[in-house]
Amino acid sequence: MQTFYTIAVGPLAWFAWAVFLVGSAWRIFSMASLAKNKEMAAVAYFDTAYGMRSIARWMTPFATLGWQKNPVLTFATFAFHISFILLALFAQGHAILWEYAFGMRVWALPPQVASALTIIATLSCAYFLVRRLSNSTVRFVSTPGDWLALGLATLPFITALLVRQSVGDPLLMTLLHVLSGEAVLVAIPFTRLSHALFVPFTRAYMGSEFGAVRHCPDW
Amino acid sequence: MKKLNSTVCKVLVCAALVATGGLCLGLPPAFSSQEDITHVRSEALKPHTRPAALFRHDEHNEKAGIDDCATCHHGKDKDGKRDMADMTAGTDCVECHAVSPVKGQTALRRAFHLQCMGCHQERKQGPLHCTGCHTNG
Ligand code: HEC
Ligand code: HEC
Ligand code: HEC
Ligand code: HEC
Repeated sequence: MQTFYTIAVGPLAWFAWAVFLVGSAWRIFSMASLAKNKEMAAVAYFDTAYGMRSIARWMTPFATLGWQKNPVLTFATFAFHISFILLALFAQGHAILWEYAFGMRVWALPPQVASALTIIATLSCAYFLVRRLSNSTVRFVSTPGDWLALGLATLPFITALLVRQSVGDPLLMTLLHVLSGEAVLVAIPFTRLSHALFVPFTRAYMGSEFGAVRHCPDW
Repeated sequence: MKKLNSTVCKVLVCAALVATGGLCLGLPPAFSSQEDITHVRSEALKPHTRPAALFRHDEHNEKAGIDDCATCHHGKDKDGKRDMADMTAGTDCVECHAVSPVKGQTALRRAFHLQCMGCHQERKQGPLHCTGCHTNG
């Protein structure tokens, strides 16, 4: 398991980053050329100012009618994404590994704050799961890909909690945590998690359509 | 009985504090010889965010079969390079590895991790995961 852990934080980490970066670039590039070929109208009406306005509005909690409609979902969505990004970039374990491997000094969250964010992210995922199961409209439009994406996104948080709370064998749990994080990286370009790559474009497109074509805000 | 216990506790806590204080300040060897070391705790790395690193100095080195103190307690040669022939036991790592290092120097926290985790990785023995060393116990 020692050897396996060394592989997971070494070669496998390089592999996951490579797949993530190359895969993401490829996905964005091929989507862009597809749009040029098939949806020239949308590309022609693309408007940076309205696009940015839409992104800004939708990045603000409760700023849009869409966010106001279901406050709990809005809260969980923001809480999850903010926790995800902060923890991925600034969890102490991550910072120490950057420092160990490359001598890079990365600012780190105080561990208590990181623990709180981990719990918040996990609870948000639990809410997403319950919502998908209990809301028949949402359940009806859920594909296996959606369940996979939700499961993948939840695993790093659960395993991080298990390490933190010393549940189970600590080396095994740390190994599972590393592997699940790498699985997310690899999955981002190729699953529903690709919304992380495409959301700026789809949002900006909607903003352009509503702003420059229909001359109204996108609600 | 309860009162007695709490007094005993207080005495023990005081003794422990004095003992760790002694270790940390590097008081005379009589009080801080390496065989008494059970954990590495660098005062320079305050504020601490993790439990002290588990390291039963002599027992660890015996089990790991490390005879040469300079494996860890190396020195510095004229060119500022690491000198494995110069044994510097008794000199704290922080003397040569600053917390915010000057150019060409390995930062203290990284020096600890490179030394401890580096060897564990090489030998495929000893903990590599955070809680393997930073453990309450
Ligand atoms: C596996 C690495 C390692 C080896 C091998 C090792 N030491 Fe140490 N030793 C340490 C560390 C780490 C410290 C704590 C240093 C610090 O806090 O700056 C330490 C501390 C000490 C101290 C200082 C105690 C104090 O409280 O200040 C002495 C003395 C010492 N070691 C002697 C030795 C001797 C003698 C040997 C060889 C028989 C040896 N060490 C081998 C890692 C090692
Ligand atoms: C007398 C000075 C001195 C002391 C004491 C000392 N070191 Fe070093 N060490 C050096 C020098 C000089 C280098 C080479 C330059 C550098 O990387 O900082 C070095 C290099 C290292 C490296 C290799 C860094 C790399 O990039 O591979 C590690 C690891 C290390 N020291 C750990 C320790 C630890 C842990 C201690 C305490 C047990 C310690 N050192 C005590 C002077 C010292
Ligand atoms: C030169 C190699 C080497 C260095 C340097 C080294 N270790 Fe180890 N360590 C080992 C080996 C080998 C083992 C496994 C020994 C065994 O239990 O059979 C081990 C085991 C351990 C264990 C598990 C043993 C136990 O008591 O549970 C801990 C904890 C540990 N090391 C901490 C440290 C720390 C902290 C440092 C740095 C101050 C360090 N080690 C530096 C080789 C090394
Ligand atoms: C092989 C043992 C070992 C492992 C594994 C290890 N450390 Fe350390 N760590 C040390 C030693 C030794 C020190 C210096 C002594 C001390 O804790 O003050 C240290 C210091 C630190 C410090 C600075 C002191 C503090 O409490 O704030 C942090 C933070 C830290 N380690 C985090 C981590 C993280 C995160 C991981 C996992 C990625 C990790 N360490 C894995 C041995 C280890």
